[in-house]
Amino acid sequence: MTQTQPDLSVEFCGKTFFNPFLLSSSPVSNSAEMVARAFEAGWSGVAFKTLNSDRIPIIHPSPRMNPYDYGSKKLVGLQNVEQISDRPLKDNLLDFLYLKKHYPRHVLISSIMGFSNEEWAYLAKASEDNGADMLELNFSCPHMCVEGSGHKVGQAFHLLEKFTGTVKKAVSIPVIAKMTPNITDITEPALYAKNGGADAISAINTVSGISEVGLEDLVPKPNIFGVGAVSGTSGPAVKPIGLHFIADMAKNGNLGLPLSGMGGIETWIDALEYILLGASTVQVTTGIIHYGYRIVEDLIEGLSDYMTQAGIQTVSELVGRSLPHLQTTDHFDLNRQGVAEYDLERCIGCGQCYIVCRDAAGQALEWDTANRRPRLIEDKCLSCMICSFVCPVPGLISYQEKDSRWQRQETPVMDPALESGLKLAPPPWL
Amino acid sequence: MSMREEVFAAKDTHFDLPQAFAEANRCLLCYDPPCSRACPADTKPGEFIRKLRLKNITGAVRTIKENNILGGACGALCPTEDLCEKECAATGIGLPIAIGKIQETLVKHGQKTGFKPLEASRNREPSRVAILGSGPAGLACAAELAKAGFQVSLFEERPEPGGALRYGIMPYRMDPELLQGEIDELLSLGVDLQCNRRIQGDRGAEKLLEEGFEALFLAPGLWHSRQLTSRGPGLRGWYSSIAYLQAIREEKFGELEKEFLNKRVAVIGGGDVALECVQSALKLGASDVFLVYRRSYTQMPGEEQQRLSALQSGVHFLLLNQPVDFITENDRITGLKCVRTELGPKDDSGRRKPQSITGSEWVLQTDIVIEAIGNQAESGSNTWYPSVRTDQQNLIRLEEDSPRTSRKGIFAGGDIARGPALVVTAVEDGKKAARSIMAYLR
Repeated sequence: MTQTQPDLSVEFCGKTFFNPFLLSSSPVSNSAEMVARAFEAGWSGVAFKTLNSDRIPIIHPSPRMNPYDYGSKKLVGLQNVEQISDRPLKDNLLDFLYLKKHYPRHVLISSIMGFSNEEWAYLAKASEDNGADMLELNFSCPHMCVEGSGHKVGQAFHLLEKFTGTVKKAVSIPVIAKMTPNITDITEPALYAKNGGADAISAINTVSGISEVGLEDLVPKPNIFGVGAVSGTSGPAVKPIGLHFIADMAKNGNLGLPLSGMGGIETWIDALEYILLGASTVQVTTGIIHYGYRIVEDLIEGLSDYMTQAGIQTVSELVGRSLPHLQTTDHFDLNRQGVAEYDLERCIGCGQCYIVCRDAAGQALEWDTANRRPRLIEDKCLSCMICSFVCPVPGLISYQEKDSRWQRQETPVMDPALESGLKLAPPPWL
Repeated sequence: MSMREEVFAAKDTHFDLPQAFAEANRCLLCYDPPCSRACPADTKPGEFIRKLRLKNITGAVRTIKENNILGGACGALCPTEDLCEKECAATGIGLPIAIGKIQETLVKHGQKTGFKPLEASRNREPSRVAILGSGPAGLACAAELAKAGFQVSLFEERPEPGGALRYGIMPYRMDPELLQGEIDELLSLGVDLQCNRRIQGDRGAEKLLEEGFEALFLAPGLWHSRQLTSRGPGLRGWYSSIAYLQAIREEKFGELEKEFLNKRVAVIGGGDVALECVQSALKLGASDVFLVYRRSYTQMPGEEQQRLSALQSGVHFLLLNQPVDFITENDRITGLKCVRTELGPKDDSGRRKPQSITGSEWVLQTDIVIEAIGNQAESGSNTWYPSVRTDQQNLIRLEEDSPRTSRKGIFAGGDIARGPALVVTAVEDGKKAARSIMAYLR
């Protein structure tokens, strides 16, 4: 059987990206030398490291980053205090010319950050004049050392709208507004950006966080000569936050702008999740900081094979496909219930299920000491499924729906005889 | 360091701390951990690995050291594949957790960082206890008693403490500094160690009970080599395994090299000691080393890892061969006369018994013979403690599966009571004896 190679190309703000995978504006897109290698590896576009106008010198704190590890797993999160580009504007623009000359099929997005109206306009115009295909307005860096910039703008919605409007007046190329997650409801600033004229939204920038505290010197990390600061957390740990914000914007009927998603993407599955929740392109930094540009091979191959197997021809068919299934919690059908089901033939007898069920769930397991096997008391099972999360044998514990007559046992009280001492007024609504 | 010293020097085969942590991350953190159940010394691997996994590294070291004063040595030497790791639940989905290596690593980490989890009890017990022998059983017993506040005197015949751990184990298998660290930690609990003190002679040991000691733990080990014939000791080129290994541990490399370099060496025996001998003989520069054993490969009592290691390092295994006599010229060994065997019906040990094949005698040309056919109690050792019941081989008989001997106030453990056994079992014996002694004294 011959298979048609799926088409990974996507339209975004009128431009064709030959795949949805972009470098985000960050250390991984700092120069043309780097970006060229990324393009050679397979990335379809770049949000270049945020340009600065040279008016205020940018000096990076040292050291810039700190890893957040989980167990022996490295970099489940990354903490950084990296600033916007510290290169002269002229050098960055020369690199634009180089990239457009050598990689005309690739999309060059110029990320900019101004500190005043005229500066935003100046950077926007300079970018357009030197080949940028679109702009991304950085309203979202959470750790700028220059006061009143970065996500401070993204949190002051009227400013964000004003600067977007200024940029839109200065150029004719598409304008993306990059949102901070360090707000309550992301659709609010996104709508301000739309009012200012933004053509698309990208999100999320890093999440404000503190990853670790040094126990020897008591300084939060990264330790900048005795000082730590709240700064940007990224990596797999923040993916749930990014997915949430992308989905919120995608579901908002008033917004209706194309979305570029990012936050914790390492694998094609992470990327596809962003796409299914409404992003049409995705951007990556921390995954590259961890593994290098080469991960794009696996993003491309993984997504292609998935599409082939699912019989999907274009990425656009996937964009937002999960949104109809995303509802608020009051939509759950609470009449349907189930329990965990154990395939004990495959059990290796570690007993982690027993520990967690007893200490964190419904005490629905008994332990057969001699045979080292759990025994499920079905009508005590809460179907929280945490036993399956700690089970080392894949698929041994699964979810099984029960029929509508099935009833879960109530958690008993320790001593019913204490009722005589109970102090509880009748509810006032009775 | 001379070439030979280097060959025998301690090797860093343990993990570094991040590797141990990564290995701990594979652990399934079982309920009622089967590994812990399988440790004779109750070192609690399930607990110390969980502590390491949760970055409670000092706590992990504490768990090991509180339960096993020789936790480092056991980590390095235990045949873990037959003990804790054999029971590891992770085997059901892949490889067992490398428990022994984690254990050794944690103890070394504690030593390196100067973390000493053990403290002598503030409660001072009035009773004094004497321990004979500073091998693993004696050390473990001393640790438990000292932690409980008893005054312990540890009598050691040799110049240095440690018994078989010091004089029977080559540095390349276990770093002597690891052992020294563990003994130093024991001594910091206030144990009175007296080396070069041979307690022997008529009622020599029992007299201690009349000299202010209220209890006595006998753990002298087995230090007398069994011999093939009485001829051996008079021949040049003949070694008992005990004397041979001790010479290496005392680093008499000059003398040994003169004897072993480019020579053919035959080691008789199939146990751990024989395996220690063949591998060290190769390291001394012998041209060919033969392990001569009357039974088959699978019947060898030596640990599997050591057997494989010996095979891989180039030792020639001559199995199903029973040595019968020496061939000599002017009292100098030139060969070992052997007879081939075949396996017959099962004997008392449950193993098929080797039977000589008539007419199959042959001579293995060899310059040196090391006998490692088992250690036994020193002859006459029963006279040091005449009221303690012993068997025909001078092994001490214990009462009702306890550490108690037939004489009130005298306890025993380790190889002198159970015959040749593992380090970890000797630790178990020492701990049990300490508990029994405490119950007796209180």
